[in-house]
Amino acid sequence: MPESIPAPLIIDTLRDTFREARGGSMREPLGWILSVPDTHQKTVLAALDKERALRVVTCATEDEANAIAAGLWIGGEPVVLMIQHAGLYASVNTLRGVAMDGRVPTFYMIGLLQRERDRDPKESRHSMVRFAEPLLDTFGVPHARLEGPDDVHLIPEYYRLSRQRRGPAAVLVGLETS
Amino acid sequence: MAMKPEDILRAIAAARGDAICVPTMTTSPAWRTLAPDDLSIGCVGFMGGASALGLGLALAIPKRRVIVFDGDGSLLMQLGSLATIAGARPRNLTHLLFKNGVYHTSGAQDIPGGLSVDFVQMAKGAGYRKAYAVKDFEDFKSRLPSMLTDEGPLFVELHTGLADKTPMTDRGGQPFHQQIENLCQKLSKAG
Repeated sequence: MPESIPAPLIIDTLRDTFREARGGSMREPLGWILSVPDTHQKTVLAALDKERALRVVTCATEDEANAIAAGLWIGGEPVVLMIQHAGLYASVNTLRGVAMDGRVPTFYMIGLLQRERDRDPKESRHSMVRFAEPLLDTFGVPHARLEGPDDVHLIPEYYRLSRQRRGPAAVLVGLETS
Repeated sequence: MAMKPEDILRAIAAARGDAICVPTMTTSPAWRTLAPDDLSIGCVGFMGGASALGLGLALAIPKRRVIVFDGDGSLLMQLGSLATIAGARPRNLTHLLFKNGVYHTSGAQDIPGGLSVDFVQMAKGAGYRKAYAVKDFEDFKSRLPSMLTDEGPLFVELHTGLADKTPMTDRGGQPFHQQIENLCQKLSKAG
């Protein structure tokens, strides 16, 4: 059964991910979070408000977040996008145009809002949950599920993967963070 | 008389120094000719994204000026970026809007609202540090130095006619990923 992941654990993992991306440097900001607010990850977003080392830019749309991420990456800055599955659907053209065609390493944390605890996302009653993985598969975006605290190691792994393959990679946050 | 986009771009090319420029749509063909081998990256394949791409660059490289050459039809596609840019407060971002009232590249259909849309008010309302319109080329030339140095985010609505070429009538230029590669290399060399 999936479990909720505590916000502090995700933030510590992001901090470590960025520190590694910077080759151990402690310079601030350590990294950038581009967020289009997601109910599913709201405890993380609330905790990030108090973080000095991680700079959050709240974006009006996921399209913007993709393009801002490209600019930050070109300028040498580590960046993570925190969005919701609905935002993934809304920004497919920018995912294609920027992350894929532009070969921009782009790492997404995608909240599966309304994912049922007792069902596999592919069997969900909600189309927004059900279609997320098939959509990523259609575009050839590697992805993994964060089904509980033991899975947070997938955050740096998929972040690194996005850099290695010069394109998008995603983790799907299975249950609402705590 | 509306300003010629090519005249504006020529003046910017001469004055920009080491600024990174982000052209899109009808400014792209002329800019390729005027500034063929320097710090530019065109918004290609994701219409409306020029200002957001420019914001990312401006945040990543705060010591360098970033100039976005946006279009009115393009900006309407991601109008929320005005608020996002204002919220992020990049001091080094100049957002130039080439306003011609039409989607020139796709056949010059009117944009919603045509020329009556007041983007200056929108940028001010979003929270840009400064926003104003320029309708005359002499006025543009006299204000250009401050456009490149004033604290941003700065928004300037440029009332222009149509460019001589569009990305459809003058295809070419490098693919987006190649432009990215080139810009990364140049920035890396520049330190």
